[in-house]
Amino acid sequence: MLAAVRSACVTGSTGQPIVVEVHVGVGLPGFSIVGLPDAACRESHDRVRAAILSSGHSWPAHRITVNLAPGSLRKNGVGLDLPLAVGILVADGVIPAVRIEGLGFVGELGLDGSVRAVTGAVPLVAALGDVDPVVARRDVPSARIATTRTVHAVATLGELLTVLRDDEPWPPLPLVDWLEEPLPPPDLSDVRGQPHARRALEIAAAGHHHVLLVGPPGAGKTMLAKRLTGLLPPLTHAQSFETTVIHSAAGVTLPAGGLIRFPPFRSPHQTSSTVAMVGGGSSYIRPGEVSLANNGVLFLDEMAEFSPVVLDGLRQPLEEGVVRISRAREAVTIPANVTLVAATNPCPCGEARPGGCTCRQTAKERYLRRLSGPLLDRFDLRVTVARPTTETLLSLAGGESTEQVRARVTIARERMLERGYGLNGELEVAMLDDVAPLRDAARELLRAELEKGRRSGRGLHRIRRVARTIADLEGDFEMVEVGHVAAALSLRVDIDRSHLERVA
Amino acid sequence: MTESLPAEAYAAALAGLSAMTPARLRLLIAHHGPAEAWSVVNGTSPPHPAVAPLLAKRDVIDKFRSSGAERHPALVWDRCVRTNTAVLIIGHSDYPALLAADYAAPSVIFVRGDLSILGHRRAGIIGTRNATEGGRRLAYRLGSELSHAGVVVISGLARGIDGAAHRGVIDGDGVPPVAVVASGPDVPFPSDHARLWAQVIERGALISEHPPGSPPYAEFFPARNRILAALSEALIVVESRAKGGSMITVREAMRRQIDVLAVPGSPLNKAAEGTNQIIADGARPVCDTDDVLVALGLSTKRQGQLVFDPRPIPSEGDQRIFEAFNGDALCLDEIVDRAALSLADVAMALGRLEANGWIVANGGWFEPMGVNTLAIDRLEV
Repeated sequence: MLAAVRSACVTGSTGQPIVVEVHVGVGLPGFSIVGLPDAACRESHDRVRAAILSSGHSWPAHRITVNLAPGSLRKNGVGLDLPLAVGILVADGVIPAVRIEGLGFVGELGLDGSVRAVTGAVPLVAALGDVDPVVARRDVPSARIATTRTVHAVATLGELLTVLRDDEPWPPLPLVDWLEEPLPPPDLSDVRGQPHARRALEIAAAGHHHVLLVGPPGAGKTMLAKRLTGLLPPLTHAQSFETTVIHSAAGVTLPAGGLIRFPPFRSPHQTSSTVAMVGGGSSYIRPGEVSLANNGVLFLDEMAEFSPVVLDGLRQPLEEGVVRISRAREAVTIPANVTLVAATNPCPCGEARPGGCTCRQTAKERYLRRLSGPLLDRFDLRVTVARPTTETLLSLAGGESTEQVRARVTIARERMLERGYGLNGELEVAMLDDVAPLRDAARELLRAELEKGRRSGRGLHRIRRVARTIADLEGDFEMVEVGHVAAALSLRVDIDRSHLERVA
Repeated sequence: MTESLPAEAYAAALAGLSAMTPARLRLLIAHHGPAEAWSVVNGTSPPHPAVAPLLAKRDVIDKFRSSGAERHPALVWDRCVRTNTAVLIIGHSDYPALLAADYAAPSVIFVRGDLSILGHRRAGIIGTRNATEGGRRLAYRLGSELSHAGVVVISGLARGIDGAAHRGVIDGDGVPPVAVVASGPDVPFPSDHARLWAQVIERGALISEHPPGSPPYAEFFPARNRILAALSEALIVVESRAKGGSMITVREAMRRQIDVLAVPGSPLNKAAEGTNQIIADGARPVCDTDDVLVALGLSTKRQGQLVFDPRPIPSEGDQRIFEAFNGDALCLDEIVDRAALSLADVAMALGRLEANGWIVANGGWFEPMGVNTLAIDRLEV
């Protein structure tokens, strides 16, 4: 007897539909599984057997052959346990084949027959296509955002059997607290002082510019970075779904409602490996931190402490907005459209104020060398942050709230998108003259800056993009004025040159 | 060959032994003279009773002998001759009397250049390696103007204040400088000061306690500072943190009743913590070269001088921003806070102030430049 059960597996952050074909026929009792299964798939034989026996059925004393189609795709994960068990029961004649038409199965089995949640439920269910998914009870929120079809959930294999074999109704779905609001990101009004750094965050949020915060420990670099997500406009439904799919595929716990509605904030540790940062992995390709921060903020605290290889790995995703991972058998593209915020000390001791540093010259140079290079160039905004004084911390009322700033950001973004060239941070160089025309005084200021030998040509383009964003935020949607350029210049500190002796 | 070596060769070799300290060298040379001290160290002559306890120390004598085997007097002497280094032994007629009178005088000094300039009036300029731009400029100007006024500037050729002061002397046309260094006289440290080092030797003199080829070991620096203090008539600290080499030099100077002067700084400036402390302890403040000349008794014209500031006067708005600095080095955030203006206005004002030399921008920080950091013309009244 033959059975074909619809299921799916995940590569990168994309689900692939799979058909689990089971043949139970004459021959010596045995079990073989073909179709490029990984170790977890191959082990499923033992789990499925125990689960079927625990559910009160006998294991067919025949030759069982399982094929995972299409045969050229590598299969991974434990989500194929449930379809495999269903396939065997259908092929053995326990479940009538017509009962599984129009259904797709995703779930891991326990030895006692319980159905467990799987990693990547969102992309898996989405890949099932036009069938009603049958999933573990805990995967219901994920399944419901991934499909418009009716979602069925079972707690055990036995429960599934009563439905498919005995024509019982599907068990009721668990209640999901759809209304539970996830905690909003921390508010910008908590930040005391630091008008300049706040401005940088506003510009970064509006124009999609990457930010580097340079300052001593305790200056509030992390505090500032965390508040950037709140300034970003809420995710559109498509963005929300895209990010949720990636989080699900990576096995990150999703919020109660299943859907990620706020821009994510990811802050990987300095010891993170390249694979953890950009994605990859040996058995199957898992999204990295840069993809988990998709449509949100990737924060690298103490950037100079990251391995240079890891930082180099970020260059391609930052340029293209996606991560591309190629293997001999497969090539995977995972979205990675992030606003990068990095924080660093100006030198090992962190005392940036002139005359305050106690580092040895060689140590300072070594530290700066790790920071410099092509990645540093990607930061449109490079801002010095000073440790606020006690008076600032105690006396000043908080500045504008996240909501006030976000209102300006939203208007500026709308204006950018109306132009049709995307956000300012992604403007093509060829478009600059059309989109960001300079007033004469502004052009003069840039020329003077170039002649002083302080800026490179590429740096100049970045300054023009930032100046465009500043103008948009101030409501000047046509020309870029000299003030906008001056502000953009002041937001792009040359940390390479800092701390070098200049006299005579 | 050994017969033909002068006493200076043995003195140089002794000074270069590992585990040699100024006190040990003094003991050996005082009781034996250089050539005999060498054979005493190598065990071929009996030690003087006063020297015997030193040579009884196993670890010391081992280090003496193993390093002495590698650095034979003939080799050391050869290097002295090749690098044109004079070896001066205390008690000899060519040893500077000025230094010989000091209670902790080095027994042997190595000199490149012309020491006769020590006959001029002398002022030491010292300070931190991690100086502010303003501090370096002031040191540069003090160096330049003091040398113009006929004062020999003595400094340590280190990064920061030391280097800036000597550069000021070299760039001017006044009296040449004297450097006191902690490595061998042919081992420029830091290496990017090699050119300045050569210029000091060419124009003035460079003094070291260590023979040519000696690397700059950390323990050499405090000892170097005592020589610097002993040579100075007045010691000017331009910038110093609360702890550091400059404060050691200050202590050495006070021990010798040498006038210590210090440049006052903003309390926000960590590099002025030490100098402010010295002033609080009673040192005279230095804001200008005249303050030093008055201290040396070379000038009484402290008052009645007008200084011509060649910088274009900033507009009223820019002036307000410059005043907001109040002498502190600030980052943009703090300036925007203090000036209470928009970021664009502040950024443009800072650009203009920098172009006209009122401030210096560096790595996101802005330092206001006082009139005493300029190379200025003076108008007699």
